[in-house]
Amino acid sequence: MGSDVFEITVNVIKMLIIFLLMVQLVPILVWVERRGSAFIQNRFGPNRVGPLGLTQLLADAVKFLFKEEFVPPKSHALLYYAAPVLALIPGAIAFGGIPLSMPIDIQPFQMFGSEWGPYTFKFQSYDLDIGILFILAISSLGAYALLLAGWGSNNKYSLFGALRASAQMISYELAMGLSLVGMLMLYQTLNFSNMVELQKGPLHFMFFGKEILIPFLPNWGIFYQPLGFILFATAAFAETNRLPFDLPEAEGELVAGYHTEYGGLKMLLFYIGEYGHMMVASAVMVTFYFGGYELPFSLSDSLTGAVRGAFSSVNLGNVMAALVIHVVMLLKILFFLWVFIWVRWTLPRFRYDQLMDLGWKTMLPWSLANVLATAYLILMAGSAV
Amino acid sequence: MAEIVLFYLLAAATVAAAVGVVMHENPLLCALHLVLSMLGVAGLFFLLQAPFVGAVQIMVYAGAVMVLFVLVLMLIDTNQDDEKFSGGNISALTKGLSVGVLSGLLTSIILRTPQSLQRSVTYEAYEVIDIAKLLFTKYVLAFELLGVLLLVIPVGVVALSRIRGGTHDR
Repeated sequence: MGSDVFEITVNVIKMLIIFLLMVQLVPILVWVERRGSAFIQNRFGPNRVGPLGLTQLLADAVKFLFKEEFVPPKSHALLYYAAPVLALIPGAIAFGGIPLSMPIDIQPFQMFGSEWGPYTFKFQSYDLDIGILFILAISSLGAYALLLAGWGSNNKYSLFGALRASAQMISYELAMGLSLVGMLMLYQTLNFSNMVELQKGPLHFMFFGKEILIPFLPNWGIFYQPLGFILFATAAFAETNRLPFDLPEAEGELVAGYHTEYGGLKMLLFYIGEYGHMMVASAVMVTFYFGGYELPFSLSDSLTGAVRGAFSSVNLGNVMAALVIHVVMLLKILFFLWVFIWVRWTLPRFRYDQLMDLGWKTMLPWSLANVLATAYLILMAGSAV
Repeated sequence: MAEIVLFYLLAAATVAAAVGVVMHENPLLCALHLVLSMLGVAGLFFLLQAPFVGAVQIMVYAGAVMVLFVLVLMLIDTNQDDEKFSGGNISALTKGLSVGVLSGLLTSIILRTPQSLQRSVTYEAYEVIDIAKLLFTKYVLAFELLGVLLLVIPVGVVALSRIRGGTHDR
């Protein structure tokens, strides 16, 4: 946590802010989803409350809070109430592990009449060496929320939804993990910050003893593992239960799937959980394949240099530079969140057997082949990031 | 100090969840308590500076194996099949035997443990890359054999389900 009062306080506030950032993005995403779907389907969407319908979300939040509170009879009350909370937790924990900007160096300074030593604050809630492994582990717990919601509400449609959800999540977890292995072999690290460091500069790698440099492309993971990225993105759609893989809540067949019996704030918690999973998936995609918080080439350095130059205090300059870089990361994440929404309103839903075929008979062999090919290339050609 | 508090909290939660596993009548709740207990064990691994083992514990046991358990248990009508889970003389005998064996094992291990706070052996915190090297060099045979064993299980299940009828019957 930290060595003195100042560091501990800053770290606690930082964790709170990162959690609130995730939660506060949800209403904006709901607005983007509704307006975006309307745009794609040639409708208007919510446009009455406030400019562009933006305050519709506030009205919705009030509505969610004041809805009638009920438990379906013959349901298991404890599990019924626990499920929405459990839906929120994995996404919130996982999002804290991804670096959202560069570390902030703070020089020694005077405050309240005493010296406060030099600090380095990381722009993430916690920094584990096993980074991606922990995030995959925590995300895999998300299945319980759907399972408990389905079983706890004692409704056949909910149960069907829960069964589909858990089978789907288990099936695609495999392809998801394997699609990342190729990239991990190239990076030789599980830590997100190290990955971002490795993706700096123009595209350059060793190939059969020759150094190859392509100056007009950034050194991003997508250029090393395009197949891995496609597989990961597909698996991410399945893991977050978004269309075209939203069979757990297929409204044409299952009313609303695992959250049929939920309303009001409990329903909203499921929404936050789903969007939280999407944010984690987008952030992992950005960090693995699109250079993390860094801009391509050395634009990051010149940008932060300019920001630092604008402030007389070194510490304030460092904080502001990190915030500017954080906006870059946020924009990248928002782009992939838009892709999630875009795909949802473009593709139709899969049938259940098609879903399982895609997971086990297409994506698993392809990701295994990707791992083997990458290992072979690294061994033979000696190419590494 | 914080580590000691965390240790006792996690240990108490793990034991309480483990007690819940055997005390509940509903098999689904037992399985869910087992998940909690596994998460507690993962937390203990994190406290022991072994984050890799902790993460794998969450991913494999809590995240995959137990999800499948819960999935199957959800399909059981607990009102009708209650007796099959708790009841019968043979069931009681096995329960008594396993409780006896386990408590005997535990007490003997606790009695053999030196009761001093001085740690006799200090273990190096292993990096992921060290674990990988050990798995693929020193322990490669055991590792591959375990892989074969795990492969045999799904193949066997598919073969059985095709022989005994069901959706995949030939």
